[in-house]
Amino acid sequence: MFAYIVRRILATVPVVLLVALFVFSLLYLAPGDPAAIIAGDQASPADVDRIRESLGLDRPFLVRFFDWFFHVIGGDLGVSIFTNLPVSHMIAQRIEPTVSLMLLTLTLSLSCAIPMGVIAAWKHGTIIDRAVMMTAVFGFSTPSFVIGYLLAYLFALQLDWLPVQGFTSISVGLIPFLRNLILPATALGLVFMALIARITRATMLDVLSQDYVRTAKAKGVGQRGVLFVHALKNAAVPIVTIVGIGFATLIGGAIVTESVFAIPGLGRLTVDAILRRDYPVIQGVVLMFSFIYVLVNLGVDLLYTVFDPRIRY
Amino acid sequence: MDRRDFLKTAAAGAVSALAAPNLARAAGSSVLRFIPQANLANLDPIWTTQYVVRNGALLIWDMLYGVNEKLEPQPQMVESHDVSADFKTWTFKLRPGLKFHDGEPVRSKDVVASIARWMVRDATMGQVIKKRLDALEAVDDRVFRFRLNAPYSKMLFALGKSSTPCLFIMPERIAATDPFKQISEYVGSGPMRFMKDQWVPGAKAIFERFADYAPRAEKANWLSGGKRVNFDRIEWNIVPDGATAAAALENGEVDWWETPLPDLVPLLKKHANVAVDIADPLGNIGSFRINHLHPPFNDVRARQAIQIALSQEDYMGAVVGSDETLWKTIPGYFTPDTPLYSEVGGERLKGKRDYELAKKLLAEAGYKGEPIVLLVATDVSITKAQGDVTADLLKRIGMNVEYTALDWGTVGQRRAKKEPPAQGGWNIFHTWHAGADCVNPAPYIALNAGGDTAWFGWPKSDLVQEKIDAWYAASDLAGEKKAIDELNKAAMDHVVYVPTGFFKGYQAWRTNVSGIVKAPFPVFWDVTKT
Amino acid sequence: MSATTVPPGYTAAPVLPEILPTPKERGRIMGFINRHPTIVVGGVLVALMVLIAILAPYLGTKDPTALAPAKRTRPPSELYWFGTDMLGRDVYSRVLYGARVSLTVGFSVACCAGIIGTTIGLVSGFTRRIDAIVMRAMDGLMSIPQILLAIALMALTRASVQNVIIAISITETPRVCRLVRGVVLSLREQPYVEAAIASGTRVPVIIWKHILPNTLAPLMVQATFICASAMITEATLSFIGAGTPPIIPSWGNIMAEGRALWQVKPYIVFFPAIFLSITVLAVNLLGDGLRDALDPRLAKRL
Repeated sequence: MFAYIVRRILATVPVVLLVALFVFSLLYLAPGDPAAIIAGDQASPADVDRIRESLGLDRPFLVRFFDWFFHVIGGDLGVSIFTNLPVSHMIAQRIEPTVSLMLLTLTLSLSCAIPMGVIAAWKHGTIIDRAVMMTAVFGFSTPSFVIGYLLAYLFALQLDWLPVQGFTSISVGLIPFLRNLILPATALGLVFMALIARITRATMLDVLSQDYVRTAKAKGVGQRGVLFVHALKNAAVPIVTIVGIGFATLIGGAIVTESVFAIPGLGRLTVDAILRRDYPVIQGVVLMFSFIYVLVNLGVDLLYTVFDPRIRY
Repeated sequence: MDRRDFLKTAAAGAVSALAAPNLARAAGSSVLRFIPQANLANLDPIWTTQYVVRNGALLIWDMLYGVNEKLEPQPQMVESHDVSADFKTWTFKLRPGLKFHDGEPVRSKDVVASIARWMVRDATMGQVIKKRLDALEAVDDRVFRFRLNAPYSKMLFALGKSSTPCLFIMPERIAATDPFKQISEYVGSGPMRFMKDQWVPGAKAIFERFADYAPRAEKANWLSGGKRVNFDRIEWNIVPDGATAAAALENGEVDWWETPLPDLVPLLKKHANVAVDIADPLGNIGSFRINHLHPPFNDVRARQAIQIALSQEDYMGAVVGSDETLWKTIPGYFTPDTPLYSEVGGERLKGKRDYELAKKLLAEAGYKGEPIVLLVATDVSITKAQGDVTADLLKRIGMNVEYTALDWGTVGQRRAKKEPPAQGGWNIFHTWHAGADCVNPAPYIALNAGGDTAWFGWPKSDLVQEKIDAWYAASDLAGEKKAIDELNKAAMDHVVYVPTGFFKGYQAWRTNVSGIVKAPFPVFWDVTKT
Repeated sequence: MSATTVPPGYTAAPVLPEILPTPKERGRIMGFINRHPTIVVGGVLVALMVLIAILAPYLGTKDPTALAPAKRTRPPSELYWFGTDMLGRDVYSRVLYGARVSLTVGFSVACCAGIIGTTIGLVSGFTRRIDAIVMRAMDGLMSIPQILLAIALMALTRASVQNVIIAISITETPRVCRLVRGVVLSLREQPYVEAAIASGTRVPVIIWKHILPNTLAPLMVQATFICASAMITEATLSFIGAGTPPIIPSWGNIMAEGRALWQVKPYIVFFPAIFLSITVLAVNLLGDGLRDALDPRLAKRL
């Protein structure tokens, strides 16, 4: 098991490297000039050149890449062009909101979606099944920013229950923390909920038709027992898989949600950085995202052994 | 710990926990929560010329002179000055008791170093002074002197200018930074200290009161007079989504929003606890910027065709919206309602729009349907709205538009290219100029028509340059006005650029906040909150 | 024609042409509808949207890009069925023309990602040597959040519909690739495929005869989901300002432009949102139905 983990982590190195090189060359080829943004509207072209030079943006591609790369190996993600702050510091500042948003989204959507999927599978073919699945498809088919605006309008402006925007650290208190996050997590979670509910229903249907479930039923195990103990446990593997894959979707959705609800998270940091061509920040964030993604999927693989003892590493 | 002690502690804990919200509320009245116009991504007001950086810097750093609402420079850090009759020797004395946030006094050598860094980066006035400079010296700790080799009468305007980059006074060790590199320490002598460790670029910036700040005795007026801040803490919350910012203000989560969307203003006005007013009386002038180097717009007839067809009403409707009190058409280049405003030569921008005549002029200029490269920064709403109107306009006068959607950073890069449009250059882009920078030709870099030395688009007209010099030479207001009338006509005839109208913006705040004034920048002093 | 007498002032009812289904055929159609209601509902809605897109110029629309700032933000009325936007453009016309862009993006991405992903998946499933490299590259692509990758790709190129399609296709390809590769790997072990390989059948023939037919079903289902998600991604990219050029009306653009005004002029966002939701819903229903109809066991793999 330990050897497996080590092997998996080592296997991520080429992936992360590939991502790094890919993103770096992508940005290198992209037009857009941070120096022009910094210099402002009134600057002369000569001034812009001077700034570009002082930022080291006039050096050739490979020099820049390896310079950055060796620093990263040494644990240094570089310094933002615009803020002059270390990229690692900027990322650290923004991890809490994004991670909180994602965890809450996951919790919310899993705790709604799995019962929905189970019920739909249990009542397969009935009106309940149809209704649940239609709700799920609706969640799928509306852009999350539209949902976000609707939620904010309803619960913040009309009912005045929750704040419209912002983020409160959990260190301030659980209640203010949740009050700020509940709307964005719902807006973001609807898509995810739809996805998981569908997968749950599908796998449950599959599992319910298996022999051992029929045996369990025949043995007189109660309905709830069959559903939640026997069937769900076996359906867990694909559900966990989809959570792992869906993680990337979640990050994408977080970008929009963070903009709508003014949450100071990583998604907004990245979009701002891309629009301004703040190269070191983009590099650092993408590197970190791909690393997290790989880790999450490693975690998913390890969870398999919990749900399905037949799987061993 | 026995059980009784434990209970006592627990009770005390519960009480303090219950009391906590009240404490928080009490502190709340001393905090001002502000949504700035844009993200505060860095804080070097010399290195970058973004207005939002200047606005933050105004809290941290003090200036030698500050303008009042008539844009007249008034002494701020300076106690007195002395100028020789030939306007070549300028001597200044700092007022006593000025201190930086690190406790060090402000000395002449700090001022000299700050001026040296600023001069390199200020194209409109700093570089003019630098060219004439024989020596800039610290006479003693409170006195410094300029010795020039040519007269310069606008020295006080230069030291107190509010257009970017402003002359902020920094400690010598910070001001010694290469002007093209960013400073990393934000220590000033202004009324507020910047809390760098609490700064989350793109989300939040915190300023706290500087206890040792010694405001001037006079009443504050824009950047002049005593800068008395009534808050222990000013929080800048960056809210990227306009709709969300409006909702936050309605919900009382922020106190003051610098730039509400005009379309949302009717909604905010209906709200009992929100007040709305014009933000900046000097407003902005929209710009249709033409590249003079390439056909068809290297022919003046093609440029005039744009003037004849362009409807400022359309642009202003798209940029600001239906609220007609916010904008006006201007057949001129200078800020309306300021002394030098002129409409001479602006006839082509008035009256009914004539697409047929425009088409005819374009044909005369030799236009045969070549693609016109229009750069549009779609992430900035003012430029995007103008770009959309222009695309429609060009189509109406039979031009073949290549609408190039970019972000502002890329427009900034692309517009510097002089190559033909087909080879990565451009024909048209849009921007806007702050009205405060368009009151006279000195800070008005966009009106310069010096060819290679002109701003992007590189218009070249000796007549325009001659008239600008005539304004500098004018000795009284009448003379200045005459020069400006002729300049306006020359620039209109040559079509240096096409103004798309004059527009103002709103600002909005909670009604429990008072003392917010109209200015081209947010003025935090004398604002109170109950 | 028979000699039925017709009262004066009336004309004889025309005899119905023989195009309506015979009772037997009708029974078969009704049976299909009963068995696969989702396919029918989804299919009809998708067809309707396609029709709207094609017929946009004939459905009472005006030029969707014609500005009229003097008539901006008018609420829905007889003259402007869905109102006008911030630049006075007719939202109804924009939404109808927007169907063209959004559907084009959805269908093109599904096709591009489907074809490229299938090719890569087939090749890597059949060639052990490059399999590892290709799959690592695909892992790498998948580990970059889709939206981020699309934004970066859009920053790289000029905004155009074509580039939006390319950017979204690149991000969707790894999913297809993995799916196809998985099918190939499982089929390779099947006795009949092993037999074909052993008997020296050439790989292209094996792919054509044995593999492709078996991938088609999961692929079609996957394609419908990609189509739906591409339309949402297009809207999201427009929201961020990195999508279809603003001058081209797409549902995403209309919503992105109108979103700041949702509190005061909700209809600018509302109408394109409804159209987008219905279309995505329809495409998803179609996909669900296809999955159930083609292979009920597929549900597990998707």
